[in-house]
Amino acid sequence: MTTNVSKMTLPKMTLWRMIVALIFAAGFYATYARFALGFAKATHLTDAQPWGLWVGIGTLCGVGLSAGGFAIAAAVYLLGFERYRPVLRAAVLVSFLGYSSVIAGMMYELGLPWRIWHPIVMWNRHSMLFEVSWCVMLYSTVLALEFSPALVEKIPFAGIRSWYLKWHHEVLIALVLIGVVLSSLHQSFLGGLYLLTKGKLDPLWYSPNLTTLFYLSAIPAGLAVTIIALYLSIRSLDVKLDPRILTEVSRVIAPLLAIYAIFRAVDLSKNDALGYLWMWREETLSFWLEIGLLVIGPIILLNMDKVRNNPRNLYWTCAMVVAGFMTNRVDVSVTGLQRTSGVYYVPQWTEFAATLMVLTVAVMVFRYCVIYLDILPKNGTSTENKLPPRLRWAIKGAAAEA
Amino acid sequence: MERTRAILVDISKCIGCRSCEQACKQVHGFPAESELKLSPTNLTVIEEHGDKFVRKMCNHCQEPACASACLVGALKKTSAGPVTYDGSKCIGCRYCLVACPFSVPRYEWSKLVPYVKKCDMCAVRQEKGQPPACVEACPTGASIVGWREDLLDEAERRILGGGYVKHIYGSEEAGGTSVFFISDVPFEKLGFPAAPKQSMPLLTANALGDVPTVVLVGGSLLSGLYWITQRREAVARAEGNIAYPRTTSNDKERS
Repeated sequence: MTTNVSKMTLPKMTLWRMIVALIFAAGFYATYARFALGFAKATHLTDAQPWGLWVGIGTLCGVGLSAGGFAIAAAVYLLGFERYRPVLRAAVLVSFLGYSSVIAGMMYELGLPWRIWHPIVMWNRHSMLFEVSWCVMLYSTVLALEFSPALVEKIPFAGIRSWYLKWHHEVLIALVLIGVVLSSLHQSFLGGLYLLTKGKLDPLWYSPNLTTLFYLSAIPAGLAVTIIALYLSIRSLDVKLDPRILTEVSRVIAPLLAIYAIFRAVDLSKNDALGYLWMWREETLSFWLEIGLLVIGPIILLNMDKVRNNPRNLYWTCAMVVAGFMTNRVDVSVTGLQRTSGVYYVPQWTEFAATLMVLTVAVMVFRYCVIYLDILPKNGTSTENKLPPRLRWAIKGAAAEA
Repeated sequence: MERTRAILVDISKCIGCRSCEQACKQVHGFPAESELKLSPTNLTVIEEHGDKFVRKMCNHCQEPACASACLVGALKKTSAGPVTYDGSKCIGCRYCLVACPFSVPRYEWSKLVPYVKKCDMCAVRQEKGQPPACVEACPTGASIVGWREDLLDEAERRILGGGYVKHIYGSEEAGGTSVFFISDVPFEKLGFPAAPKQSMPLLTANALGDVPTVVLVGGSLLSGLYWITQRREAVARAEGNIAYPRTTSNDKERS
């Protein structure tokens, strides 16, 4: 049966494989350029624009878009929204891979990446970045632990398996709780990094509330990424999931975006930035692009039944949210700083290539995890799929036990 | 606060001879060619604005944004006044470049093992009682070194004497620096950035101060929510209203 499927999809796979091969070729060159030739050859970074695409997209978007995991985990474990349970593992996996990508991206971004461990022993508690680095370290560990049963339950030794799962069950709620607090802190603190750019960052983005703004925008964007991952899994990975769960997850996105929009509007007026809203400047155009993609478009679309109840439309709307979110982070980290820095930074192609390769690896790992682990219910054997997914695993575990 | 060292630059006295640049390069062993901008091998620079010569270098803030930004504490405000950089701690994140309100620190972009470079007010020379190389080399006394308070008094005295813009650049900028500029031409015409007139670390201190609150309040709130969820479920189960038991794989394995 499986051979049939792969035969049928073979032409499409070849195209994708070619694209992946190209991405890897470009990514390998970018890696070579970064480590053998240095920043000057591999990037367009300068003293005036010391943080570019690797921070703006790689770190800010990488972490922000990984917010789905903690949001869904909190909903299921702490708030008891059982209806989200079927997508919990997928959401946690997306987040874990997101954070792993950020850490991998750090290897390119840091000038001296072999010293990435320095913050563990060299502390500066006045530094926002210090807090961010600790939260990312701790939360990545939490995510790995949250996800670990998916791997452990594949271990062929029943003793180890049940010992680990028992132990895991004991600490799970604590893990989720710590995870939610840590995520909330460092999603905010990524915005907090830019509090020091007062006088440099454009008034459309500089705000003493950058922390809250980053936090409020990360949750809907993270959920949008979760929906995208689920939709793609259903479409191309033989996953059998009721598409209504996508609608269920999307239900909270519009209200969250509305809260963000209101907060942003009040914040802009409090910072006396309203005058900049109608100026004919590149920054203002970029601002409206961001607002249109992140707030206005999705809120309108998500209120339409034919978007909410149609997975394909929902998928594209979520892509819009993600695009708007990314525009926002690039605006804060690049566009909004252009005027005062006096340089017009456009990333070198190698910067794109490195980021794209890291992302591609993450997508591939996600794909293999869904295929080989019990992340989402699959169309294989029919009897098991009628049960809720947790129960299905339970039965598998029990069967293995017997 | 202890008395700290500072530098006063009188732009009206600078003749643009670039002796300070050369002295700085010599002290650091950098190649002698003159450069137009600050660079990893040019830690102070004379920029020409019209017929004026403006010296640029690290301003050695009293409460430096860079030092508060640096996650490993490689940048430090020393008790003697200079802001110094310990390359052995640096991980190369370049947050100091982003944070500096005067955009002073430079990065060795073309090196494979790159470090941050910036003026350290010749901290080592000053410890030995020598003046910073640039000040020592200045033939017109446009740059002078001294105790911070004394130099502020001196700058004020000169401004009151007339012929100067009524502002000491560095007295308030970024919450006060240890390099002051006085000028007979408005500072905004000389390319001085309008840095915030407040202590930069305070900008992040509030948010960082919220951490214990967020952890405590957030943690208890979430625990409370979890307790309610559990309780509700227990009640539902007792009443037999639950659709399917919330069995986890390990529950099953144990039974």
